[in-house]
Amino acid sequence: MAKEKTVRIHKENKVQLTMGDKIFTVINHIIWVLVLFIVLYPLYLIIISSVSDPYAVLNGDVVIVPIDFSLIGYERILHYTTLWRGYLMSIIYTVAATVLGIFLTMLAAYALSNKFPGKGIFNFMIIFTMFFNGGLIPTFLVMKDIGLYNNPLIMILMGAMSVWNTMIARTYMQTSIPRELYEAAEIDGSSHFQYFFKIVIPLSSTIMAVLSVYYAVGKWNDYFTALVYLRNQAFWPMQTVLQKILAALTMSAGDVAEMFQDNYTDVAETLRVSNVVKYCAIIVSTVPVTVLYLLMQQYFEKGVMIGSLKG
Amino acid sequence: MSNGTAVQSSTKKTKGQKLLQAIGRDWQLYIFILPAVVFYIVFHYLPLYGIQIAFKDYKAVQGITGSAWVGLKHFKTFFSSYLAKQLIVNTLAVNIFNLLWGFPLPVILSLLLNRLPSERFKKFNQTVIYIPHFVSTVVLAGMLYIFLDPNNGIVNKLIAFLGGTPQYFMAESKWFRTVFVASSIWQNTGWNTIIYIAALTGIDQEMYEAAKIDGATILQQIWYIDMPSIIPMAMMMLILNSGQVMAGNMQKTLLLQTSGNKGTSNTIGMYVYSMGLTQGQFSYTAAIGLFQNVVSFLMVITVNTISNKLSSISMF
Repeated sequence: MAKEKTVRIHKENKVQLTMGDKIFTVINHIIWVLVLFIVLYPLYLIIISSVSDPYAVLNGDVVIVPIDFSLIGYERILHYTTLWRGYLMSIIYTVAATVLGIFLTMLAAYALSNKFPGKGIFNFMIIFTMFFNGGLIPTFLVMKDIGLYNNPLIMILMGAMSVWNTMIARTYMQTSIPRELYEAAEIDGSSHFQYFFKIVIPLSSTIMAVLSVYYAVGKWNDYFTALVYLRNQAFWPMQTVLQKILAALTMSAGDVAEMFQDNYTDVAETLRVSNVVKYCAIIVSTVPVTVLYLLMQQYFEKGVMIGSLKG
Repeated sequence: MSNGTAVQSSTKKTKGQKLLQAIGRDWQLYIFILPAVVFYIVFHYLPLYGIQIAFKDYKAVQGITGSAWVGLKHFKTFFSSYLAKQLIVNTLAVNIFNLLWGFPLPVILSLLLNRLPSERFKKFNQTVIYIPHFVSTVVLAGMLYIFLDPNNGIVNKLIAFLGGTPQYFMAESKWFRTVFVASSIWQNTGWNTIIYIAALTGIDQEMYEAAKIDGATILQQIWYIDMPSIIPMAMMMLILNSGQVMAGNMQKTLLLQTSGNKGTSNTIGMYVYSMGLTQGQFSYTAAIGLFQNVVSFLMVITVNTISNKLSSISMF
């Protein structure tokens, strides 16, 4: 039915296009080609630079295709243990925080998708935090008081749950899981717990996929929490380590040699390679979330649409 | 389960009894919400309680509750300092500039996307424009330093090619806001179309059909069908983002600030971060942060009220 309808619309579309509409459509396409270029070119430039000869990159000659294909940056980055330790920490934090985030969000969203005495108070309590927070300094002092300063647990706990995601999940449950299912389950004598685990969770894979992308990306890309709360750099996630590497744009050759823990005597060589290492570090750090997004993409569209419709 | 049957058998009960029954029936829901409540108490309401240090002289030994009250001392110090005006102006300027671009562009982009005849091209574009959102702030800042390098960055190469003079984008105050806003546009415009595309997808196709039969052009369809359906969403976004005017993205500013661009990149958030965390002036910076939060909150309430009066669209 629906398909027939769209086919018909397309046919009429072709017949009825006026001159103005044609011009509009042409301009629209030109705009989109431009948009795609603006979005993709910077990313493309990073990729081709990461596999080009360091000299060519340093001179700014790499513009359209890689010049003198070289993997020296990637080879060098393999030896940079600080970054890989950060990588490992990031994986641990991201996986743990995402699991915790989905757990907290799904439970709360289920409660809020039902009617029960006091629901309004809980709703208010959660939404209020979106508009008013303690601010950086009071939060910092309170975290210090409860023993989360310089404690890697802060990376998992802080921001584990987001108001926005909770609202999306609640809307999803209200609109996508038929109320009759609950009524039937209630007649069968099943409790909220049984209903939640046997019916709601299996029917919520789409929204859980979306939540996992949201939470994982947020965690993976966070550099600031560690900068503020973790004095011990061994706990630092990759983004915080990366920030140090990228900030080293103008650092001395000695620093570079020390940072990469190698003993290359040729200072110029070290400097020149360290420049390409930056591009490689950007790629290595960005690939996991991008792949996650592309993998989840199919759920993503559906879930985001449903969740945000009444959001 | 026995609770469930008890509820059904009762018909005449007082209000209090009804409430107790409802609680009895749904007590499990309180367990569902409990972890979230604990989370918000620890990570949001305890820090709210910690705000009191803005009115105290915080000493680590005496702690948050034990430190001595000093009233509005820190607020007075801040507002009488020569820096206050510059910080407020810098904060407002970059964020208003950001909102002026960041608010309409996703609306325009989603209207244009909705008008692409090919479903496949539409889908492809949608996938692509979300990608920058997944780039971290650290990487974004790194890319900016690389591309805007005065000697061999691609942007200055292009400027030189076109006959212009290379610019020190990252090291001059006059460029900070442009760099900040332009990179935000790149990173967020695509992602922020999601909510509008969702609204546009919900439009009944028969409306377009009817409009076409009446001879409506594409622009007329956008104006009379698409726009009305996304205005409520746009208003919601405006209400939500209005609080950002005084807040802004400090984590990004921290990465883009250089000794050269401090004239415009020194915002309230940056000042709180550096004076508070690196110099340990906790109470003073907590007061500044509180001022910032209160203004943001009032902005949201005000815009919400205005929107409610004008269009009866409101958040709460």
